Amino acid sequence: MASSDRKVSAPLSRSIRGTTPARLQDLASTPESPRTPIRATSSLFGSPGGGFRTEDEYLVLELGSRFVRGGFPGESAPRCTLPFGPDQQRRVGDYRQWDPESTHRRKKRRRDQDWGQDHELYRLDLTEVDLGLVEDKFERAMREAYNKYFLLDPKPRRILLALPPRTPHPLMSTVLEVLFGNFQAPSIMLMSSPILSTVAAGLRSALVVDIGWAETTVTGVCEYREVHEQRSIRAGKLLSEDMAKLLNAQFNENVEEGSPKVGVSFEEAEEVLTRVGWCKSRPRSDRKTLYFPARTSPVLEEFEDAVELPEPTITIPFTHSMPPTELTVPFASLAKPTESALFAPDTPLNELDDHELPLHHLIYRALLSLPMDVRRLCMSRIIITGGVSNLPGLKTRILSELEALVQQRGWDPVRSYGSASARHEQILRKQKENLELQREEADDKVSESLDPDTPSAPLSPGLQDPEVDPIDTKLAHLALTGGPPSTCCVGGTIRGVETLGAWAGASLVAQLRIKGIVEIERERFLQHGLLGASREKEVSVVPQRQSMGPGVGRGAGERASWTLGVWA
Amino acid sequence: MAQPFPYTYYSCDCYDSKITPNPSKRASQPPPADDEDERTFDPRNPRSNYSLYPLEHLLYCEDCQQIRCQRCVIEETLNWFCPSCLFEVPSSVIKSDGNRCTRNCYNCPVCTSPMTVNSLENPADPSSSGGPWILACPYCHWSTVEIGIEFEKHTGITSQLTRIGNGGKAIPTPKERDKERERRKELETMKKDRDVLSGSEDSPTTDRGRDDGPPSHDDIFSNLSAFYKSQIASQTPSNPFSPHEINFSSPSSFSRIMNLYSSTTSKKQKREKPAPMREAASVLEGLIIHDPSEDAAAIERIKKEGWSSTLSSTQKFAQPIPTIRFDSELRPIASLLCTKRGKRCRSCRHILSKPESKITSTRYKIKLLALNHILRLSLRALSTTTIQPGTPSPLAFDYNNLKSGIPTHFLLHLSNPLFDPIRVTLATPSTTPGKIQSRVTILCPQFEVGANTDVWDDALSSSLSPIKKPTSIGPDGQPQTSIEAGKIWDRGRNWTSVIIEVIPGFVGGIGFSVGKSDPEDELDEDEDVLEIPIFVRLEFEADVNAEERGLGDSRGERGAREKREEAFWTVVGVGRIAKM
Ligand SMILES: [Zn+2]
Ligand SMILES: [Zn+2]
Ligand SMILES: [Zn+2]
Ligand SMILES: [Zn+2]
Repeated sequence: MASSDRKVSAPLSRSIRGTTPARLQDLASTPESPRTPIRATSSLFGSPGGGFRTEDEYLVLELGSRFVRGGFPGESAPRCTLPFGPDQQRRVGDYRQWDPESTHRRKKRRRDQDWGQDHELYRLDLTEVDLGLVEDKFERAMREAYNKYFLLDPKPRRILLALPPRTPHPLMSTVLEVLFGNFQAPSIMLMSSPILSTVAAGLRSALVVDIGWAETTVTGVCEYREVHEQRSIRAGKLLSEDMAKLLNAQFNENVEEGSPKVGVSFEEAEEVLTRVGWCKSRPRSDRKTLYFPARTSPVLEEFEDAVELPEPTITIPFTHSMPPTELTVPFASLAKPTESALFAPDTPLNELDDHELPLHHLIYRALLSLPMDVRRLCMSRIIITGGVSNLPGLKTRILSELEALVQQRGWDPVRSYGSASARHEQILRKQKENLELQREEADDKVSESLDPDTPSAPLSPGLQDPEVDPIDTKLAHLALTGGPPSTCCVGGTIRGVETLGAWAGASLVAQLRIKGIVEIERERFLQHGLLGASREKEVSVVPQRQSMGPGVGRGAGERASWTLGVWA
Repeated sequence: MAQPFPYTYYSCDCYDSKITPNPSKRASQPPPADDEDERTFDPRNPRSNYSLYPLEHLLYCEDCQQIRCQRCVIEETLNWFCPSCLFEVPSSVIKSDGNRCTRNCYNCPVCTSPMTVNSLENPADPSSSGGPWILACPYCHWSTVEIGIEFEKHTGITSQLTRIGNGGKAIPTPKERDKERERRKELETMKKDRDVLSGSEDSPTTDRGRDDGPPSHDDIFSNLSAFYKSQIASQTPSNPFSPHEINFSSPSSFSRIMNLYSSTTSKKQKREKPAPMREAASVLEGLIIHDPSEDAAAIERIKKEGWSSTLSSTQKFAQPIPTIRFDSELRPIASLLCTKRGKRCRSCRHILSKPESKITSTRYKIKLLALNHILRLSLRALSTTTIQPGTPSPLAFDYNNLKSGIPTHFLLHLSNPLFDPIRVTLATPSTTPGKIQSRVTILCPQFEVGANTDVWDDALSSSLSPIKKPTSIGPDGQPQTSIEAGKIWDRGRNWTSVIIEVIPGFVGGIGFSVGKSDPEDELDEDEDVLEIPIFVRLEFEADVNAEERGLGDSRGERGAREKREEAFWTVVGVGRIAKM
């Protein structure tokens, strides 16, 4: 019976990721956030020696909660990006999505479902997930990818799979079972998406801000390893819900009493958001954001941007309603959902839980918890990625909010609220700024003149810790004597760096035949499932000339044992 | 609608029957029974969508004696071809040129219709080539003119298109790209050296790399790729004493980072190590610093050009680079190649289907269809029950308007494709799962279906005499067979029909008032569809299966028989319950 084929893994003894105590031998001063223990920061690439088998061919997959991307190494973009929407979940022989009549029907959310739930492959709270259904969805999507887009000959392909670092084990197990069982992959290499995003930005260390569907994850990456992680639910889902609220409000504004209220569908809200949604690049009022906690400044509320006349509008067609209709909304209003969902300017910070921090505060806190030298690197390498990050204006906004926060607060972890301390901070800030100015002048001479390609480089300087100065000097000196160019050492200022995304990073890694630290062989997995992974965090730490760093070793051969690395 | 009513779906056994608790708080679900066979199949469970198939979509493995669905077969690509020009593509080309047609087959990026190559020739001033040429969509009239692309020749569109960017700008080949990168890097180094030597402080040159706009996605990718390759090359043992040697007497924080490369080697060894790799330092190495002006430009453009200049998510996902936003960035979509694939049983690897290799042929060399091996169930309304006294003639039964609370009779017709008679046992829950609970009774759940002997055999055989049906006069005045529990309705050579009595449930429950619109009472999509899960168990005696029979024959055990049993769930879609 076929099903026996598929029940390959032993039952998993734990359903939630282990709470291994953090190991910080290399980054000793990293404070541990209460919610996110830092795991497996130590390196564990494979044994030395064995060369990369040149005959190995890879497929590159990236799995997110709403899409899977798949393609081939060395290509700049995936061959396919497949969604997990309701149209993908119909029975075989159900062709209603092609039926012209159904396209005029507005899709309705099921009673028992959350906003957008029928577009998700999984959610991180596994108590709400039917893993069997995850398997069904994933298997079908992969079959489409193989049969429609990969068009492979029968030769088995190894897989490089990009996964978020905190993917729960049962979910990983389900995904691996499908890839090993149904698609005959001889081995699967796991790499974490923030590291791959770092690779696809040309960097080795970075602060990766992944604004995904269910949550935003901020990951500190230092030399290709995750050193810190922080999360907030301010992400795509909240944003799309807020967009729906805005559209509903606009629709129902002029509706007569008693007539039915319009409720736009998930698909409609999503379409509006991705097509014409945007974000104000500057905070509503710099002064307010800068110096006063929201609560104490009701008066300054309306320092809006200069109003354009006539007010620009956008006309949005709604073809799924009966009869098809149009909605004309002020262009400015289309920036409001981003404002409320991601920055929450109207809620005082102390009323928000840790898991619902506005993005700039989330990033600031993540930076704050990094050791000083790592922070210095990371703050100048902020990579904003994930589906929502494409919203025009959003990156600029996040960076300028962050800049403002840093200017206002510096890196003092103890922060009290209130106007007295705000004034105190202003004084401090001024002092630091003066220091800054002096250093800036000195810096400019060295770094900027050497680098023609980053003319606009530091947006404007944040606060540098005087202690790191010797590094700058050292590096600048090295640059002059033929060492790495000085841009490689830019630090201490807020700077955004673009990435081509985790998939492209994975494609590069596979093209360069760089091995990750987690590689799972089919036979082993089929025998023991994830429990076959070595309990040891570190298998061997052997110097490897050809490694790009600890997170990505190169040229490992057959291994006696394997580990789950960051997923352990 | 999915399929016209009434329809029958078959559930494939490979459906993972692991019992998973329904996560939703509101959905009521009967506690799962211990025996899997007795557990009622719920067609409304989202997982059911992945295990139900129309019979025509299923194959049958004779060795495993089981239905095989898309999931429990292994597919093997036999050949590749373009569905548009029907040109066969060898597998070596698939590897080098990818999964799309490299001839002139393109689909419209706006509406996906196939595009045609049209001439833009000026009749007053004819050109020798008949050009310029464009790709145009005959359906929505989008054409490459809108993205500023014209072709010199009407053939080899793909090779021309790979070299023209939107707006007519030339796209460099990978080789040209590498050359240009090297040239620019050299310039950069020269300038750097000059600057360092002269100590000049002139402003950083900003024009280079920016004169033709920001680098494209492909530019950045190829820059990154080249950067990493060069970094790895500089790490090879052939070059152990690279000029990038770093003095490790730097401040502790710095050396700590460098230490990450090796934690077990001694300080002495470190000195002999090549320099660690570094990060990209310029656009030419793939480093792109965030540029706020690009954000601002995009916002301005949306504001000015509005909705119609932006792309739908479907349009974006069909593009080679799906991160684009505006219609001016669209590219025509080369036809995706199709494959002909053979199918094998996942469990025993026997071939289940193999198409003829000729591209234009739709025939199969081998195709083991489930409908030749599995009892076919079909449902239709028993017309007499719909006739109201006084109506003149039977109207076509309206499956989209089932009446709540009114007992309705349906005929379940079972036909046997096998050459052996089958004993059938049907089971169904007395009320359908889901929000609207309908009552279901199969009047005769156990019966026999005759063998699929040929017609001549049938005439000679007397084993199945037609049953005598007691008749009565129906309300329409016609003779009518009575509906009796425990009795089949009718039977033929290889088929039997039985009656199912259905009392459709109430939409929104009894006493549902129209004026009130409680969202909890509103129905989800298809919740008003009446579907009956039916468990089918078959028992029959058959010749010992093909392979074994081959052996048996040689030993002279002709005609060895074995008892077989098969069981599976089906779902019969009866119709839609009318709103009250
Ligand atoms: Zn199956
Ligand atoms: Zn073609
Ligand atoms: Zn078209
Ligand atoms: Zn078989």
